[in-house]
Amino acid sequence: MLLRCRVPLAHFELDIDVSFDARLASIFGPSGSGKTTILDAIAGLRNIKTGEIEINGRTLFSSAQGINRPPQERGVGYVPQEGALFPHLSVRNNILFGATRDTFGKSKDISLNHVLDVLEIGNLLDRPVTKLSGGEAQRVALARAILSQPQLLLMDEPLASLDITLKEKILPYLARVRDEFEIPMIYVTHSLAEVLTLADWVLMIKQGQLVTQGVPKEALRSSHAILEIPEEQFENVFTVSLVDSDVDAGRTKVRMQTGEELFIPYVAQPPGPLFQIRISADDIIVATQNPEGTSAGNVLPGIIRRIDMREGQAMLMVLAGEEFYVKVTAAAVKKLGLVVDCPVFLMMKARSFRLL
Amino acid sequence: MISSFETWQITFFSIAVGLASTLLILPFGIALAWLFARKEWPLKSVVETVVLLPLVMPPVSTGLILLKIFGRRSPLGQWLYERGIEIVFNWKGVLIAMSVMSFPLLVRSVRTSFAEVNVRLEQIAATLGASPLKIFFVITIPLAYKGIVAGALLAFSRALGEFGATILLAGNIPGKTQTLSLAIYNFVQLGKDPEAYTLLGITVALAFLFVWSSEWLLRSEKRLY
Repeated sequence: MLLRCRVPLAHFELDIDVSFDARLASIFGPSGSGKTTILDAIAGLRNIKTGEIEINGRTLFSSAQGINRPPQERGVGYVPQEGALFPHLSVRNNILFGATRDTFGKSKDISLNHVLDVLEIGNLLDRPVTKLSGGEAQRVALARAILSQPQLLLMDEPLASLDITLKEKILPYLARVRDEFEIPMIYVTHSLAEVLTLADWVLMIKQGQLVTQGVPKEALRSSHAILEIPEEQFENVFTVSLVDSDVDAGRTKVRMQTGEELFIPYVAQPPGPLFQIRISADDIIVATQNPEGTSAGNVLPGIIRRIDMREGQAMLMVLAGEEFYVKVTAAAVKKLGLVVDCPVFLMMKARSFRLL
Repeated sequence: MISSFETWQITFFSIAVGLASTLLILPFGIALAWLFARKEWPLKSVVETVVLLPLVMPPVSTGLILLKIFGRRSPLGQWLYERGIEIVFNWKGVLIAMSVMSFPLLVRSVRTSFAEVNVRLEQIAATLGASPLKIFFVITIPLAYKGIVAGALLAFSRALGEFGATILLAGNIPGKTQTLSLAIYNFVQLGKDPEAYTLLGITVALAFLFVWSSEWLLRSEKRLY
């Protein structure tokens, strides 16, 4: 899709010029950076000063050609942050609200039952929407957007209003929607973990300007991108396969795609043959000698590939099979004499890993 | 002593014309309230002010303006008269006085309830393919219905209580333009207190009925959609 737009906002001007082809592209950036504005512009809910928006070869907006299709004709499904379910309609009538729309040449191949199955909301159909939990409401909003048979699905921080446990429950549903229905998605988030888990393309935004774009792990690797990521967000996400599980030891052994093995907390049933785990950059300890007598379940040898300093903190990129991002203080860098190409050992408690 | 026929005639006339005026202004009031709440257009604030004027002006002044507009010596009055329509000193004058006086109350109430409907819901409905007309009738109106019902009841009550503008435009003609409010005033002037008290009782009963039914309607969980 092609997205070129300029939209004047209160404190800055949104100015984006990108073109990409992705199954799930995420727009990533801090609050107030213009992310929602981009979605509104694509959906036709906000005036664009100049620009051009094109999806699947169909022009939705073009200031040069004088095209500005109304939201009804854009064929875009929108799941806003607050869900925005119609409070006076039942779950069923919400879900079916857009089901009869014109689909602009796209075949109506998505069935109600399929959507209900994927999102597991079949039992909610006759409930008033006011009696839904936050997670249920998000799934219903998602179902409503999907059943309008859109050419593109826009999602605005669907997990932002949910607590941690609920987030981890909804995330797999989003992955299933991505895999089950052939609808390209644009996903707005300020969470790095969500980008690394779901997206195959990322647009990083700051103050209405593009910082970087590309395949997430590669795009976010650049120094200027790393410096824009909020400290507390820095997480490592790895795709792994199950080796074995030991309920008595309370841990599960997994293998990363580069072959290294890790212990994570006990998992009875992994979500699939391949699944994702994550660990915060704060939860990894760096040692210059192979430590002995430690409770950490994982010790991996590696080599420091890069050091980015920021406000007394250092972000190390350590190659230990996969790339690990590790956060330490500037004092630790000095004390241990850490420099690029220095061999180190990474210590990680099994319990610091989380399953996605 | 006031005859029961007269009592019923006055009561029926007031309610009928009051109801007619409320039904007459309802579509215009809803449309205008929506334009106020959702659209930006030139001279909007001027129009808003003009619509609200009867609410703050002395009703008699409004009545005098209406008399000047609809009187036979005005261009409009003349034009209507030539086509056999006379507004002044008959029930049509009562209808117009009631409508003009209750219109701002309706518009204000409905406008507030439209403004409280989350625009995001209307926008999402648009992305789901709903036409502006469908959005209005399936999303906006149902979500604003409480304000619309409240506004209509308020307008109807105001119409029944209308006095100043009515007496100037339609006069106080028994059997022809005399409403409850005008009749009570008339009987008190003539020292016919028992007659006045009978009509007073009716107005109190009607008022009680409105307030009670509107409270019930707005509080009940039952929805109109």
